[in-house]
Amino acid sequence: MQVITPPKVYPVIVIGSGASGGMAAWNLTRQGIEVLLLDAGDKFDRSKYWTHVTPWETQARLARGEKPETFFLDTKEQPYVTPNDRPFALTRVWGHGGKTNVWGRVSLRYSDIDFKAADRDGWEISWPISYNDISPYYDQVEQLIGVNGGTDDSDVLPGSKYLQPPPAPRCGERLLQRAMGKLNIPVVAGRRANMTRPTRGFPACHYCGNCGNGCDTASFFCSADHLLPSAVQTGKLELRSNAVAARILTDESGRAAGVQYFDRRTGSDQQVRGKVVVLGASCVDSTRILLNSKSSTHPNGLGNGSDVIGRYLCEQIRLNARGYLPALEGTPTRNDRGIGGEHIYMPRFNHRPGRGRDYLRGFGAQFWNTWSNWNGSHEGSDQIPGFGASLKRQIKRRHPAWFEIHPFGEALPYAHNRITVDPARVDRYGVPLLHIDYRVGENERKMTEHMADTIEEIVKAAGGVLVNYKRGDLDAMGSAIHEHGTCRMGTDPKRSALTAFNQMHEVKNVFVVDGSAFPTATEKNPTLTILSLSWRATDYLAQEMKRGNL
Amino acid sequence: MATSETDINRRRAVTQLIAGAVGVASMPLWVQSLCAQARAEAHTPAAQATASAAVWSPSVLTARQNEAVIALTELIIPATDTPGAKAALVNRFVDHVLSTADAKERSEFVRGLTWLDDRCRARAGKDVAGASAAELTAVLTPLAAEGVPAAEDAPGIAFFRAIKSITITGYYTTEIGLRQELGDDGRMMLGTFEGCTHPEHQ
Repeated sequence: MQVITPPKVYPVIVIGSGASGGMAAWNLTRQGIEVLLLDAGDKFDRSKYWTHVTPWETQARLARGEKPETFFLDTKEQPYVTPNDRPFALTRVWGHGGKTNVWGRVSLRYSDIDFKAADRDGWEISWPISYNDISPYYDQVEQLIGVNGGTDDSDVLPGSKYLQPPPAPRCGERLLQRAMGKLNIPVVAGRRANMTRPTRGFPACHYCGNCGNGCDTASFFCSADHLLPSAVQTGKLELRSNAVAARILTDESGRAAGVQYFDRRTGSDQQVRGKVVVLGASCVDSTRILLNSKSSTHPNGLGNGSDVIGRYLCEQIRLNARGYLPALEGTPTRNDRGIGGEHIYMPRFNHRPGRGRDYLRGFGAQFWNTWSNWNGSHEGSDQIPGFGASLKRQIKRRHPAWFEIHPFGEALPYAHNRITVDPARVDRYGVPLLHIDYRVGENERKMTEHMADTIEEIVKAAGGVLVNYKRGDLDAMGSAIHEHGTCRMGTDPKRSALTAFNQMHEVKNVFVVDGSAFPTATEKNPTLTILSLSWRATDYLAQEMKRGNL
Repeated sequence: MATSETDINRRRAVTQLIAGAVGVASMPLWVQSLCAQARAEAHTPAAQATASAAVWSPSVLTARQNEAVIALTELIIPATDTPGAKAALVNRFVDHVLSTADAKERSEFVRGLTWLDDRCRARAGKDVAGASAAELTAVLTPLAAEGVPAAEDAPGIAFFRAIKSITITGYYTTEIGLRQELGDDGRMMLGTFEGCTHPEHQ
């Protein structure tokens, strides 16, 4: 007689190990719940990052044929499809920690101006939560990951209680602050997840500015450094690498029963069984998995009887303005690397009295490379007239005078902005590809006009000169890398896919904890809110499990 | 939304905020494209390998054309109290950019260089590589001048714009350009970040 061992049934399977999935795995395992975590990639080797490396040493290494760690998924390996006239710049990282390896680290709390926007203006649905529901989780997340910032709270940007000291502004940032002060445009210390104090055994930031290469000292939050190791230590986590999740499997009743994935190295088709599935594969990839999980009980994709999954894709719009501040020309070149991003932030202000507008929602602004660039001369140096010693002198004079203004604006959710899966076009595993159809509308165009006005006012007040500026020329769709809305939470199961605890209305043992759950894009960077929501959702999951409801 | 008078005034005011009336945008497409190609190539392993090779010979340019490029890049970014484009081997970067460019851009560039050789011979009796710095400066000055150019100078103006832009991109991505000329201190580990301490900027 043959003994057949029934396949293991994991209490929870989490898909994705970035901010959302990493947080879910960390929070569940520390509460004693066994988790199988699937990630589509491998571990990145922090010891091989080119973090504290000068530009010329970087060049010398490249010249020797050495290669830095590469994070981004090649579209040759995993293509996606868009309409020909509507490109979408999708950025994916497959590997432990996902995009938190290289994220921009801007960490801004959402407020009720964001959560309750639709209650005020009537456009689509509001969040089913308010600031009071999430603020205890913001408190916990900020203490866990180490966010720096000022104490300059407002209705837009609340909750600075647990922030670490912010780095001082650079010269150009000071001048922009002064100009914005004259115009009564708010400007605050930036809030960013770089540790300016040693935190939980990790050293403080060394101000090398190379965060985009990954941090070899883990001085900014990355799920792979700050969450996964302690989850492994509980003994409750099984982390399976190179497991490209394709579908959530269901039983006859339509409940989730497991996950089908493909081994990225061998291509083999695998299945694992679980009682609960938590999706944190990123907005677009979680949506793709749900839409590909068709069955007789879920003919339109898993939990998609409402037909909202895939719709309402909202990605922020962005303008880019760059130039120089004559007041700083000829000053000495400084070591401006800092925390690898701007040290100031312009919170949304358009809702204030006297800031009349003809569009819904709002925008904030970042100031990226307002400093002495360390990778070359600044854009437009070749527009300085002449040649020879005078040209060389002029380029040097302008070098420390650079500034940038990058307003990020909320794009409204529209049903036609949509992720679908294309059964006619499949990836190397035979799984239908993502199809992304995204465009912005009249509201966004009007907002863009106000963004441009704001840029121009600030530049004028600062006495700046813009270089290669094209008014209203939005950056590529998708380039903010803040996709939301395609599996949104809400109170009405006909208009939303998830409850206020990220649980699927139609499939109780599936939770979706990444940016797809956001009903609106807001103008802010989402990772802090993703971490907080995932923590909150998995607290609820653990509680329901202990009560025997899952 | 109708464009109001104030909108027009505002946009007129904005044009005064924008630098670069003689921007690359007014140049032929091949110049724009080649300059963009140079910026894209500046940090690639291939460009860096070219710059640091112990033994190097041009892959696109002839030996004589390479001599001309050395002279031109050094004239654009000369040695002053810091080394110039020649010492920074920017000629190698120029050749590398050409090797990665489209055939049309490559041939336009070489045609521009030939045009300049002809102009040099007509004015100074020598080709670019053979001319003195003073002779070359005299030939280049009208091509680099602002204002309305003479129609017959158009090929030379476009060529000069291209080599000037590529030279700048190349020079300021070298250690000579970044560290010696622009003064990057190269410190990648700071205990504290002071930020701006100038009273006049507060």
